[in-house]
Amino acid sequence: MNISSTLRTVLIIGSVLFFIFIINMVRIKKLELKYALIWILTSVSFIIMSVFPQTVYAVARLIEVEVASNALFLCIIFLLLLMVFALTVAISRQAIRTKRMVQEVALLKAELEEKIRNHETKSQSP
Amino acid sequence: MRKAHYQKKGTIKGMKALIIIPAYNEAENLPRLFEELDEVAKNADYTIDVLIINDCSKDNTLAVCREHGVKVVTLPVNLGIGGAVQTGYRYAFYHKYDIAIQIDGDGQHDPQFIPYLIERIEQGNHLCIGSRFIENEGFQSSRIRRVGIRYFSWLIWFLTGKRITDPTSGFRACGKEVIRLFAQDYPKDYPEPETVVTVLRNKLKVSEMPVIMRAREGGKSSITNLKGIYYMIKVTLAIMIASISRKAR
Repeated sequence: MNISSTLRTVLIIGSVLFFIFIINMVRIKKLELKYALIWILTSVSFIIMSVFPQTVYAVARLIEVEVASNALFLCIIFLLLLMVFALTVAISRQAIRTKRMVQEVALLKAELEEKIRNHETKSQSP
Repeated sequence: MRKAHYQKKGTIKGMKALIIIPAYNEAENLPRLFEELDEVAKNADYTIDVLIINDCSKDNTLAVCREHGVKVVTLPVNLGIGGAVQTGYRYAFYHKYDIAIQIDGDGQHDPQFIPYLIERIEQGNHLCIGSRFIENEGFQSSRIRRVGIRYFSWLIWFLTGKRITDPTSGFRACGKEVIRLFAQDYPKDYPEPETVVTVLRNKLKVSEMPVIMRAREGGKSSITNLKGIYYMIKVTLAIMIASISRKAR
């Protein structure tokens, strides 16, 4: 029922480094806080799970999965699916916005060029 | 051509029509198209403007258009056929055109049919599609494509109850209501069959008119064999979704 203390130490160090990395990314504004929240929560739960492995066993018992690691995989895969889906939604929204912006910029530019051309021909022939 | 059959022009006073031509590397085909369009514009008793949507072409499409003095909108980023055509509809919407005509830049569509398409819109249709398969004249596309087109035709009939013989045709004219609709919302790629359903779904009138198409002069079709399967699945799904989509306000 127990994991080796070396593995545990490695997991603790890894998850703490991960947490620091995420916070730093937000600090230097490479990651928007809105999207960072889910990652901060994930890294905090990694820390909790590596410091108190009992929580994983408790969750496994709660959802009636015999092997703790399977319960962990199940939870993580579920979380990943959710995150990927959220990203697809975000990309779709960005694509629609980009398209509209490209179209408006192109129309504005064409309009401006025509105005300038009309102005030039007018000033050439008084 | 059966000219006598269609005789009647420009009933709306001071009517403005816009011809939207999406172009991606069409420098070779455009000059001939412009000549044919000039001929059409000369004989019309209403304003016909030509607008090229230059979808980030890598050849000298832009130079050819400038030389000919037509209106050009150059997209700063390649948007693909749907995004390019929609830019044209947005232009038509902003400039309050009464009628928009969509025609391919590759010379497949013969501009001499444009006045008749316009006439159909004046007669109260909201969208009129130029169809190859009413009189089965001219370029009929390959056998495999005809099977695909017939399938889409059946699917649209099944979902909307309306027979459209050539739903993939990009040779079409539409009035103000549809211009507004397309300016708001237009599919990204392979838009033709889907938009027919969207227009029908908004309780607008769609009709077809026989046209004679030509085999493409240069360039390649956007749909290659390999993409064929993807195309069929995607368009099938798009048509189904369009038939249960929310109506535009």
